[in-house]
Amino acid sequence: MSEKHSIVEIWVYLSGSPLFALFITLAAYQIGLTIYKHSKQNPLVNPVAIAILIVASTIQFIDMPYSTYFEGAQFIHFLLGSATVSLAIPIYRGLNSLKGRSIPLLASLCTGGLVSIISAVGIATLLGADSSITGAMYPKSVTAPIAMGIAERINVSPTLTAIFAVCTGILGAILAPFVLNALGMKAWWQRGFAIGIGAHGIGTSRAFSIHPEAGTYASLAMGMNGVISAVAIPIIYHVLNL
Amino acid sequence: MIYGLVQILLFQSLGELVSKFLLPTLPGPVIGLVLLVIWLVIRKGINTELAMVADTFSQYLGLLFVPAAVGVVLFLPQLKANALAIITALVGSIILTIGSSAVVVRLLSKKASDE
Repeated sequence: MSEKHSIVEIWVYLSGSPLFALFITLAAYQIGLTIYKHSKQNPLVNPVAIAILIVASTIQFIDMPYSTYFEGAQFIHFLLGSATVSLAIPIYRGLNSLKGRSIPLLASLCTGGLVSIISAVGIATLLGADSSITGAMYPKSVTAPIAMGIAERINVSPTLTAIFAVCTGILGAILAPFVLNALGMKAWWQRGFAIGIGAHGIGTSRAFSIHPEAGTYASLAMGMNGVISAVAIPIIYHVLNL
Repeated sequence: MIYGLVQILLFQSLGELVSKFLLPTLPGPVIGLVLLVIWLVIRKGINTELAMVADTFSQYLGLLFVPAAVGVVLFLPQLKANALAIITALVGSIILTIGSSAVVVRLLSKKASDE
């Protein structure tokens, strides 16, 4: 009996400490990265989506409450803030690309940001989604770490926002080439910038893999969109939800 | 590596302080980001340690939002009930967002080069 007893004891010990949550999170992400590499970086096979699926099904399977998982995984979650601050570096590197093109780029950014909010919230409302869903749609075109910060400020679920942001990135990276080709967009910098506004981080890494100029402009768009949205979305949200 | 992290955490803390006392509508890390961009513009350059930390973060950015996104398990019934609205809103909004941004940037840069 002692052998079985001790396995249970070890299990209880491990699942009580942050070790287990940290382990499955990192291991799931590593599995996601490996599958992504083997798929020749197909945007449908997104490592983050795979990691979320693996971790979510694991904790469901072993009946671990989400709050217990998060208690351990919060150490990874904490780094989101630091990662947000470090987005300053790609923005700084992209500032040179802004010269002489700042007016079309800023206008495009404001248009894209507004269209993103109005269309997502509008379509979801028309189709009868409840307000917790539509609220989480506001920052969906913003890079996930900033989007979750915005979600906290406007009192909507950061989790739903993160899910919508990840889905937007994946779908945007897939749909962007079709939309841009249909519109006959030729200049790489314009294509990249539009992808960065619509599909943030996942779109940006896709843009980098297609053309370096597109990638630089996509990451500039992603960073600027994050900063401007953090200022504008709380205001827009309160105006629309008086 | 450590020096880079110290710089990031310093600007993050400054951002949190400004957010707490001056600009409560803005998340602290976003203020930290803006302060760091301003600092880099004044200093006219990025030191290698800071670049290394920032590149590591951006390479593995996706990992960092896994813990929050796993919270999806709490919302499964709600997401299922609203699935059609969510998928239509996301796909429609992506096409309109990318399309409108692209058209505006092309239109305005054509005008600028005609002048």
